[in-house]
Amino acid sequence: MAFDAEKEITRLWSHLGSVQGEIGRTYMRWRQAALEIAGPGANATEVSLKAAEVIGVEFGKGLLPRLNWLKGEEAWLMNLANQLAGRWITQGAVVKVEKGSNPFEVFLEWERCPWPTFAKEYNVEMEEDVVCCDAILKASLRDVNAFFNVDYAIETLKAIPRGQGICLRRLAKLQK
Amino acid sequence: MAKVLYEWDYSSYPGARKYPNLFKPVQIGNLIIPNRIKYAATEENFNSHDGFVTDADVAYMRARADGVVGGLCFMQGVYLDETRKGQGYVGQAAAWDDKFIPGLKKLADAIHSQRAVAGCQLMDCGRVGAVDVPSGHGPSNVPQRLRIFRPMHEMSVEEIHENVRQHAEAARRGVEAGFDVIEISGIVGYLISNFLSSYTNRRTDKYGGDIRGRMQAVVEIIQAVKEAVGPEIPVGIRLCAEELLDDVRGNTKEESMQTYVIAEEAGVDYISVTAGWQESIVPVISRDVPMGSWLYLAKRAKEHIKIPVQMAYRLFLPEFPEKAIAAGELDVWEMCRSMIADPLMPKKVLEGRQDEIRHCVACNLCLARLFRDAPMTCYINPMCAHEHIESYYPHPLPEGEQKQIMIVGAGPAGLECAYVAAQRGHKVKVYDTRNEVGGTILDASKAPYGDDELMTCISYQKTMCNKFGVVFALGTEVTPELIQDETPDTVVLATGPIYSQLPGVSPDDKRIVKVQDVLSGKAQVGERVLVWGTRKPGIGVALFLAKQGKKVTLVGKEKSAGFDINPSFKWRYMIYLRQSKVNAYNDCNIAEIGQGEVIIQTYDGYRFPVKCDTIVITEREPNEALKAVVQGEGIQLYVIGDALVPRNLSSAVHDGYRIGLRI
Repeated sequence: MAFDAEKEITRLWSHLGSVQGEIGRTYMRWRQAALEIAGPGANATEVSLKAAEVIGVEFGKGLLPRLNWLKGEEAWLMNLANQLAGRWITQGAVVKVEKGSNPFEVFLEWERCPWPTFAKEYNVEMEEDVVCCDAILKASLRDVNAFFNVDYAIETLKAIPRGQGICLRRLAKLQK
Repeated sequence: MAKVLYEWDYSSYPGARKYPNLFKPVQIGNLIIPNRIKYAATEENFNSHDGFVTDADVAYMRARADGVVGGLCFMQGVYLDETRKGQGYVGQAAAWDDKFIPGLKKLADAIHSQRAVAGCQLMDCGRVGAVDVPSGHGPSNVPQRLRIFRPMHEMSVEEIHENVRQHAEAARRGVEAGFDVIEISGIVGYLISNFLSSYTNRRTDKYGGDIRGRMQAVVEIIQAVKEAVGPEIPVGIRLCAEELLDDVRGNTKEESMQTYVIAEEAGVDYISVTAGWQESIVPVISRDVPMGSWLYLAKRAKEHIKIPVQMAYRLFLPEFPEKAIAAGELDVWEMCRSMIADPLMPKKVLEGRQDEIRHCVACNLCLARLFRDAPMTCYINPMCAHEHIESYYPHPLPEGEQKQIMIVGAGPAGLECAYVAAQRGHKVKVYDTRNEVGGTILDASKAPYGDDELMTCISYQKTMCNKFGVVFALGTEVTPELIQDETPDTVVLATGPIYSQLPGVSPDDKRIVKVQDVLSGKAQVGERVLVWGTRKPGIGVALFLAKQGKKVTLVGKEKSAGFDINPSFKWRYMIYLRQSKVNAYNDCNIAEIGQGEVIIQTYDGYRFPVKCDTIVITEREPNEALKAVVQGEGIQLYVIGDALVPRNLSSAVHDGYRIGLRI
């Protein structure tokens, strides 16, 4: 039986890394194309925020079949947080999800994220990277909130591109 | 005084003695219906894309009206608005203008031609509508969970009033076209169910809030329709008894029953009980749901309301409604899919010809076609959707054109071909090496989750073969010599498939077994099993083995497992595979077979081992045996079913039917 596990895993691992790299670079190439078409007067952050909104809304729609209220709101919230984290993990980030001080609060902590590196590679301002991630996450919640008739918000407390070491975000129910 | 439209006397029929409750009258509003049978409104996508009734729909409905033997026969739900927001199916009939009345009249006349009671259903598809326009309408703008459905627009109060008026106008047109009963559809995610559900109605005005508020629009629709049609025309409604939407915060069971009570208070003359929405994650009508599972909902409805209660939903055998009606738990037996599969189903029950019923196998191909904007067809009934085409009927042959036909293989393709050809007047003899009829279905029906119902197809075909004088030579192998001796005019090869060989493996290798030998219990199978082939036979045997506690891995060349199963049923199998912990590797080949393990190779070259002590072969190939012999003898030859191209039961039946007509 000609099977070399180490060789197969090494190949898979290397291909996964290539795919993750290609995701980031493809986004950056499209960003560049959009800015060139928009012309010299275009505000790069505004263009990127529009893209972030489109990405976030699409992502949010994709979450609807994956979320389920049967086990109650706390389990639903943890599932939502894990789905959000999973989105970045598949792209090469290291993200932890932890419960907050009340049942309707969760923290997401990025220990590592590939996006600031892509931003640097394509000469994008670090603050644009922060606000775009923020916008993607906020837009993701739009349909989720409307579909489940809830009101959750996400806010950025710390960000790697701001030199704070980690990205920390709080996902919590809005108090009425 | 209550009115009788057509007099029917069932007393001389055997079915009326066997099922006395099915063939006794019931009063619906001001009408006496002579029996308890109803062909329930079913979309079929047969009409023009601008809502005009076609000849195909008229012929389809006439056949079902014949089947209800004087009972209720409903046309599909009509959409009501010129904007087409309420249109859920490309071939749905419309009633938003008087110009549609002549077409609707053709349907009512077709139903009346069979002395049945004609029903017209009003159906604004709401959340699952807008099939051909950019957005749909509903009580609130709740996003869609399934991408196939359009974004929603929240209706203003004026738009709700307009919708109420549209219901009333369409009802008036239905009556002018000649229909005897009007029904409002409020189920499975259509507009009325959207108003009722806490999931989709978030309004805070008088059309939202608690269940009475959420019912307000429905109450107004019921009252407007009743006023439009007058006291002589009964008005009914279809409502969910359980939405099965707990995962998205839908109505409670108690709220659903309140909708029944409020609808009765508003003046409806009957309620048709349903379960689930198109968005529900709970299976309702697929084959894995046992027959009669939902009857408790009809019983619950009877405990809450006094008007007649009607129900379909996996009531494929007359014993279920007969018993429920006798117990006072149901009033009218509705059928949709069972009369798609056999339009004369209740008529055959009445005439004591139950063994001649072609039973629905609850595969939901009919639904899958609708959701893909295609005209409905039936997996098991080749005539369905072709009722208007004369050449689809098995007319007798002209004198002197009768042939001697040898059919090799008594599986579903061979049997279907045999009885159709014999019905037309041919002399047909069917051969099979087995001692019983059924072919591969004999084994396939051993797979779990309802596949035993597939044998109903074989039972039907066997009865029809006997009825039309088909001769059987079972336990007989057809050899070249036999063909030369018999010299038939035509040979039909319906021998089933051959099973693929794995390259480099001896056919005598005890680790390799065929799917039919596993399902029939002839083959010894180890504790770790690799099933080669991810189509339905592979999935069926994988679940069969997993139920025995074996560790099963599915491997196949296809891009996705179960691609030959229609999507309206495939999702069930995918859940069962996950629950049974069956790993499925798609886009893969078997690269090497070793002792206790197999090396799998993905399409792009990755390799990994899977431990297994038995490999079950389900991959199939066309069967070329005897073809050259028949051609060499200059005999007319047809190859059908899996022998031609391995597919599924439906293809076998449809092949057999068409060739049975063509010879």
